[in-house]
Amino acid sequence: MTPSIARLSPKRCAGIVAGALLLAAMSGYAARALHAQPETPAQVPDLTGVWDGGRRSHPTNSATSPWAKTMAEGATLPDGTPAGKNYVSNFPELNERALAFQKIFDEPLSPKYDCQPSTPPALPYDPFPVEIVQWPDRVLLRYEKDDQLRTVWLDGRQPTARDYGIQGFSVGRYEGNALMMETTNYVFDITGFDDYNGIPSSSQKKVKERYWKDGEQLKATVTVEDPMFLRKPASYTMRYLPAPKGYKLKAFECDPEAARLSVQFIPPRYK
Amino acid sequence: MAGRLGILIASVAAAGLVAVEPITAHHSAAAAYDETKKVEAQGKVTRVMVKNPHSWVFLEGTDEKGEKVEWQIEMGGVTSMAWTKEALPVGAAVKAVGHPSRAPGSHGMTAAVFSKADGTPIGPRGGRGETPPR
Repeated sequence: MTPSIARLSPKRCAGIVAGALLLAAMSGYAARALHAQPETPAQVPDLTGVWDGGRRSHPTNSATSPWAKTMAEGATLPDGTPAGKNYVSNFPELNERALAFQKIFDEPLSPKYDCQPSTPPALPYDPFPVEIVQWPDRVLLRYEKDDQLRTVWLDGRQPTARDYGIQGFSVGRYEGNALMMETTNYVFDITGFDDYNGIPSSSQKKVKERYWKDGEQLKATVTVEDPMFLRKPASYTMRYLPAPKGYKLKAFECDPEAARLSVQFIPPRYK
Repeated sequence: MAGRLGILIASVAAAGLVAVEPITAHHSAAAAYDETKKVEAQGKVTRVMVKNPHSWVFLEGTDEKGEKVEWQIEMGGVTSMAWTKEALPVGAAVKAVGHPSRAPGSHGMTAAVFSKADGTPIGPRGGRGETPPR
């Protein structure tokens, strides 16, 4: 038999009131959490699959690709199209701090010689396959290069002050036929923009990416903001081609000895 | 001759081989290797390290004074190196031609083309930056 409120002791009564308040608070939290989730888009573009970022998709990364001050007419651009007569440089406009870092940069400092993975904007352009997996609340980008996994959260969550990491923290949403991503919370990286040109990136780096299908191709526009080093955002657009049917990503397993060996061949710049 | 190992250093700094785009100290391969020159080494394979990010082939040879030297030849990543398993066995006498390392007194090389002692080619050209064929 359910006891009436009149028969309850003051202590038990206080417990019931506290429980009710807790339930009310929890339901309010749940409502807020649901509210934070973006509306489910009418149509989610299918970007899944293994995509080939090798040389048949775009020019191999170098001091002039994907960032180029000039391009000869007809030369292949990162998106696989030929450069026009009036090619406009996409090379980043560096501030004085970045130029100073470039000046003192010493190649052996590059963390890749200790198997530290590259990060965007370099990582998506590295000549290796990437696999895209789409789940309802997240997109997974698995890179063969350096065995990297990037998780793009679609559920409205935002990074906290504890979410700094080498690949930062990615959130995203679908917009039209595209996946829109934004990654922040990177750690400082002395070659975090580009190791070929010795351009660092700071914890202020913000990378915006847009992925969409163009026929059988996967296109991506990668835009980088970093007020510590760049005067304005810099951007490139690239393409991936479908990987051969049945291709499975292979473990990269970077070997520290193999990665470091060539450093002995670089004439020392500093004693 | 497998027992007699020699080294011939041939600089081919032909102006036509210099890249149009200036090679900066930050271009990682160019920081370690002079891509405007060629060097030739002969020796016995002592070790083949098939690894990522780059593989390595080690040759034991002799320098112009007849002293033993170890050549360290930087190649491509794992997926581009399957051919070495049979074509570059430890103990094989080979010749390698590629870009020399920059540090004075070092014996490094990249983008090497291998051949047998009689000149028969072995495998594809391999070097840092060579990506796996797909």
